[in-house]
Amino acid sequence: MSSKVSLNQSAVKIAELTKRYGRTLALDEISLDVRPQELFALLGPNGAGKTSLIHILCTILRPDTGQAWIDGFDVVKDPLAARRRLGIVFQEPSLDDRLTVYENLNLHGLVFGVPRKVRKQRIEEMLNLVELTEWADKTTRMLSSGMKRRLEIARALIHDSAIMLLDEPTVGLDAQTREKIWSYIKQLREDRQITVIVTTHYIDEVEGCDRVCVIDHGKILVLDTPEALKKTYAQQILRIIPKSDEVLQEILTSHSHRLTGQHGETILLKTDDSFTESFLSEYGTRIRSLVSEVPSLETVFLSLTGRELRDQAAGVRERTYAFGKRGGEHTR
Amino acid sequence: MTPLEPKTSFSQLNSRPILLQLGGLYGIWLREVKRAIRDKGQLVGGISRPILWVLILGIGLNPYFRGEVYGEVTFVVPFTYLQFIFPAVVALNIMYTSVQSAVSVIWDREFGFLREVLVSPMSRGTVLLGKVLGGATVAVVHGCLVLLLARFADVPLQWSDILKAIGLMALLAFALTSLGVVIANRIRSFEGFGVFSNAVILPLYFTSSSVFPLDPALTRAQTKVVYPEWLVNVVQFNPLTYAVDSLRGVLINYNQFDPRLGIGIMLISGGLLFTIAFLDFRKM
Repeated sequence: MSSKVSLNQSAVKIAELTKRYGRTLALDEISLDVRPQELFALLGPNGAGKTSLIHILCTILRPDTGQAWIDGFDVVKDPLAARRRLGIVFQEPSLDDRLTVYENLNLHGLVFGVPRKVRKQRIEEMLNLVELTEWADKTTRMLSSGMKRRLEIARALIHDSAIMLLDEPTVGLDAQTREKIWSYIKQLREDRQITVIVTTHYIDEVEGCDRVCVIDHGKILVLDTPEALKKTYAQQILRIIPKSDEVLQEILTSHSHRLTGQHGETILLKTDDSFTESFLSEYGTRIRSLVSEVPSLETVFLSLTGRELRDQAAGVRERTYAFGKRGGEHTR
Repeated sequence: MTPLEPKTSFSQLNSRPILLQLGGLYGIWLREVKRAIRDKGQLVGGISRPILWVLILGIGLNPYFRGEVYGEVTFVVPFTYLQFIFPAVVALNIMYTSVQSAVSVIWDREFGFLREVLVSPMSRGTVLLGKVLGGATVAVVHGCLVLLLARFADVPLQWSDILKAIGLMALLAFALTSLGVVIANRIRSFEGFGVFSNAVILPLYFTSSSVFPLDPALTRAQTKVVYPEWLVNVVQFNPLTYAVDSLRGVLINYNQFDPRLGIGIMLISGGLLFTIAFLDFRKM
């Protein structure tokens, strides 16, 4: 029997969650609360533990220790009930490319137990929202990647999801489509009053979220509103590429207290307007490039993790995926 | 402050767990069938395979289907080779299609469909059952395609025979699809269906007394004079031998073993393989 726990008004509650893969610690005693109807962003470099966290929340990965509740249901003890409350958009596409748009949505409705009448009405509603109504009878294979993403968002909402998990919903999409997807997400939050948890690579998308949680190496670094984060952590930064190694060494020794990072020949220094001026007059002729970066979440992120957000090289999974795309394997 | 209730409440959903699972089972089954219908390659295979086996191999080998036992030239079994091989080709077509749809689990895993249903309120068992039943349905249809060739193979069929045959085909298809899922679950990288065809389907098929009979008129000792002992043993240990045998019983009224043995073996191995597949599936 399902046992619902009262969560003191949090839609999702995570308590001391730990997950290990062999010797790597993917999640290190993470605890956090997501409030109802919040737009909550998880930000972190690749391998920070975001996807592990999402997978635990959607019950396909078991945590080693700790607990998590979705709308009051424990994800380990009561996964079926937890899943009914979740709408999930995975990082990798998970549509059936041989079924039509309508059939994909209908299948989802069936496996989530949406009664026939509600199902029909919902499918229509959702297709309308993501502007795919004219594509209803087309095979999913014919859709562009942006349209597939929109369809996946529509699909996650065919049942009565109270909480939506979006794992990198806009990765690999052009700016226009990204904007569109965000407008759907925000509209849905208004209309359906759902809670949204989203992971993303794109800092600019995070600006519009209610709260941001930066994680790295399986630990929560900060959790606050974007404004508060910028106020506390953002720092104007100078990105310098010196002309020679001597100059590089010189800058490193004389401004070591301002150093925030170094990748190869690029040096990052904390700065303010007067420092930038004096630095330019001193080194202006001996550097190849200098960029002054204004406070943004990007610099918040950089100063917290010491890393930039970047895309990783293709792993085994991507390669198999590419094989399938190319191969025309007839068992697909 | 109290959290706002969602506009559409959960009470609208099927709250009876059994109805929910049945609805999902239907959805997953329907998806399998629809995919198979849209896969032209699979359909071409399902039609060309029996034509090759029955019309080319069957007709070609027909005159040679007689045995010489102790100097006496006789037909080993009172049937033409075409008639003899016909039920086995039904089994072959079912094997290919079953294993092929089961192997699509690998693609489902890689391309996310499986993930989509694994995060649904479907239990693992329902997902697996839907998948296996879907694959088995398609396989039975492909088995029936072979029955269309019956008149070319001089196999007269009654409607009752066809119905009985469909029942046997369903048992066989269920067991083989489960076998396919068991294998697919143990495979991490996929190099193509050819591996399956050569390493699983054809060895099982050739050692199931489908293309040549082990003469039931001979004693075990005599059989071992005609055939090497290892081959006799392999044929007798191959569960498919008994499945093909019971199909023969229905289609051409020829049984080497007790027909109930075939049904029993199919039921047991189907149940066993499905259980193994289910245990694997639960870990995912």
